[in-house]
Amino acid sequence: MTLSTSATADHIYATGLRNQWHAVVPSHFVAPGAMRKVTVLGEQWLLFRRSDGTLSMLADRCPHRGAPLSLGKHLGDRVACWYHGVEVETDGTVSSVPGLPGCSLEGKKLVTSLPVREVAGAILAYFGDEEHPEPAALTLPEPLTDPEVSAFLCYAEWNVPWRYAVENLLDPMHGAFLHHESHTMSDGDTTAKFRIRETARGYFFEKTDQRGVNFDWVELCRTGVDWVDLSIPYPPSAGPGGPFGIVGMACPVDEQRTGVFFWRYRRVEDWQRASWRFLYRTLIEKRHWDVLEQDRVMLESMPVDADQQENLYQHDLGVVRLRRLYRAAAEAQSSAGA
Amino acid sequence: MTDTWPYLDVHQSRTHEPTPYEHKLAATLEEVFTEEGHELADVVRGLTSRQVHAADGTPWTEESFRAEMNRLGA
Repeated sequence: MTLSTSATADHIYATGLRNQWHAVVPSHFVAPGAMRKVTVLGEQWLLFRRSDGTLSMLADRCPHRGAPLSLGKHLGDRVACWYHGVEVETDGTVSSVPGLPGCSLEGKKLVTSLPVREVAGAILAYFGDEEHPEPAALTLPEPLTDPEVSAFLCYAEWNVPWRYAVENLLDPMHGAFLHHESHTMSDGDTTAKFRIRETARGYFFEKTDQRGVNFDWVELCRTGVDWVDLSIPYPPSAGPGGPFGIVGMACPVDEQRTGVFFWRYRRVEDWQRASWRFLYRTLIEKRHWDVLEQDRVMLESMPVDADQQENLYQHDLGVVRLRRLYRAAAEAQSSAGA
Repeated sequence: MTDTWPYLDVHQSRTHEPTPYEHKLAATLEEVFTEEGHELADVVRGLTSRQVHAADGTPWTEESFRAEMNRLGA
């Protein structure tokens, strides 16, 4: 198995929590009949799609000598390692050792194969450690499954630790400053009081004195996959339908890199839905992107020891709560195999 | 699509570069939403008074606008 239970809490905290689902890359990154190498939780993986669209995710490591299977050949329903031709099926079973037919490797399931789901244009995979190979129950974010909601996925790759990307979302107050010169977040007070409100699946971090004006609240949801939900008002130019929401997820790539997934969604139907989608593609997507770039530039510019030398205040309660939660989970996962 | 890190693509929702017609329609639509209102009748009136017509040059009706949005915003 690839994810070990002997990893230290520091390693897990740095490279991402196990025993849960994570978004990996957008679905269209792996065309039918194609393979793609990806790094997730600091490990190497191979996404493999059959021509009929069926997707698999394997550890990118030949069980023979450890060569990357991603350098090998797509054989339709299996991959052949380039080094010695060892063939591995999509469930991780060695189907053939061409150099030594009848070799004892044949028929054995020697490569980790992760459970995968495709959701709203993204590939989700379950990353269990040795003691938790069975996938955790997964409840998808409602905005991505509700037929009355229209959503667009925006995916981007940032050179930041995954925790910084999530912490940024649990810090609504940055909207009024970092994004002040944006099309959606120029309004509202630049002072606020916040509170934490626990929910069955996570917690809200919200302003107590302003709602519906800026980035005023966020909910962290832990439903088998970690995601956030938040809402930001649109100016009248965006037409009918009210505010837009964001479902956000972060894929821990390795200690310094993160894939961010932002589904911008709006509860709209009929011609209002179609006009928003038309405006989004033509004009709004670029403005949203400009806002996201402000986040990327700021987070990528943060020193590596940023979270070691801080002086936090009341607005950081959401971040503190998040760190405590993730740190405790990393500690628990590191001792699971002890 | 590229295999190189980082993937940073401004436009991920488009199937094509908007045509001049689509650009003009979108920009005017934003102006109309801002100045006239959010009802379908407001939109048709606002586009007509700004002489921004359908692709075939005819003035918009509620039906033709709805159909065109469904095509462009599918």
